[in-house]
Amino acid sequence: MIARWILLALLPIVAGIALTQTRRLSAIIGMGLFSLLLAAVYLLMHAPDVAITEATIGAALVTAIYVLAIRRTGRLAVVADEAPGLIAREGDSIVGLEYEILEGFARQIGLDLSVHFVPLRRVRWLVAHHEADLGAGGMVPLDSGEGALASTPMHLETGVFAFPAKRRSFNVEPIQEAPDYEGYFSELLEHDKNGTLSTAVSSLDLARVLSLGRIGASLQDLGRIDGQYGYAFLIAKQRTRLQRDYADYLTQLRASGQLADMIERHFS
Amino acid sequence: MTRDRLRIIFAVGIIAAFVGLIGITYICSSPDPADSERYLARAVEETGASNRVAGIYLNYRLLDTLLEVLVFSVAVLGVRHYLQQSEGMKLPNLSESEVVQTAVNFLAPLALLLCTFFAVFGHISPGGGFAAGVIAASGLLYVAIAHGIQAMNAQLNPVRLALMEKVILLVLLAFVLAPAVAGRIPLTELLPTGTPGKLLSGGSILVYNILIAMKVFVGAWAVIAAFAQHRGEL
Repeated sequence: MIARWILLALLPIVAGIALTQTRRLSAIIGMGLFSLLLAAVYLLMHAPDVAITEATIGAALVTAIYVLAIRRTGRLAVVADEAPGLIAREGDSIVGLEYEILEGFARQIGLDLSVHFVPLRRVRWLVAHHEADLGAGGMVPLDSGEGALASTPMHLETGVFAFPAKRRSFNVEPIQEAPDYEGYFSELLEHDKNGTLSTAVSSLDLARVLSLGRIGASLQDLGRIDGQYGYAFLIAKQRTRLQRDYADYLTQLRASGQLADMIERHFS
Repeated sequence: MTRDRLRIIFAVGIIAAFVGLIGITYICSSPDPADSERYLARAVEETGASNRVAGIYLNYRLLDTLLEVLVFSVAVLGVRHYLQQSEGMKLPNLSESEVVQTAVNFLAPLALLLCTFFAVFGHISPGGGFAAGVIAASGLLYVAIAHGIQAMNAQLNPVRLALMEKVILLVLLAFVLAPAVAGRIPLTELLPTGTPGKLLSGGSILVYNILIAMKVFVGAWAVIAAFAQHRGEL
């Protein structure tokens, strides 16, 4: 009798907890727990058949369906190529300014952040084809206004660099993307050793140039392209709601001074 | 245009027939309070099932249960029909970490065992075909979460499963109508009631439970597989 009253009192509490979770997986687990408690109440009311049905459907089947359903919609899927200082692997974890911004943003909108490292040119393709939500890793949007890609507001100023061979033909064939090179950033050092760096790279951003310079790559021929540039994330044009959410989050981050703190922490 | 009109007339006819049927049922057989007392007092003795709940919904109220099964079949049919109109998607197989996979590999056989137990002993102890089918479908769903739904679809042919679902439904209906062949009224007992509490007791309830469990299992999985295949969700 007492057990039944305790369980009945717990039901609205667990329901409240499940309703107030911002993280979707937690909310689903809360709902499963609610069903399990309800099944226990039925059992104590001498209705084992109903209890079994409640437990199998409410706690097992529905939970499983929700878990499967949020695997695509419950994650903020970010694709990136490594950019030292912005988003890069360090042991088993990922660090960097952009990673920290993305982590905060995912938490704000109640999603789990998942980052996949892919070759640089693949980042734009995946975002444009809706296979990923955001493209990160020191992307510098050059305002073309065409295609399926848009960009978020800039979070950090930067510069764009290219080898003179590319710059000479600048008027004929301006650089299309920045940064732009074959494969992964980690492979660029290999290209430097083989002397093929200038053929592999079309353009680079400031963070990558500084990182390559630190590890002794030969960058004497590299020249800075005039203009104002900034880092931002890539996003599909149709994702207007995500664009708005992110723009709001960044404004909030900037207004509270947190963005300046983060930049100072990562780049000083 | 005429085809559309025919369809509308057909739909209206079905709805009218349905409403009419409910009306007739309500007028002709208003629930008799004596029924419920009789069910409680004599269910075990009359149906041979020591689980009174199973005795009521698979014997006295078998028609209600059959309509429930039909509703489920129509739902499965509807989902498959409307999803087949959208084109299939090729998506990468999403699988979970080894921890989840190992846990699921341990739990899935247990779910199947529990399903068998609830279906076979549904007339003796709490359980029954619906719960049993849902347990097995959940077990399979957890395997799909762990190993990826595309990997599961490669193992289980969704088209064959959908066919199997219909065949089970036909067998179930045939079993309900079978007493007519033996010269009795459909929906009555075909098998002997036996001694309550023994495994082979409760007349046809054991067979119904097993058939319903298979049907719910296959149907639930067919719906999930169809969602995964055509909408790329899940």
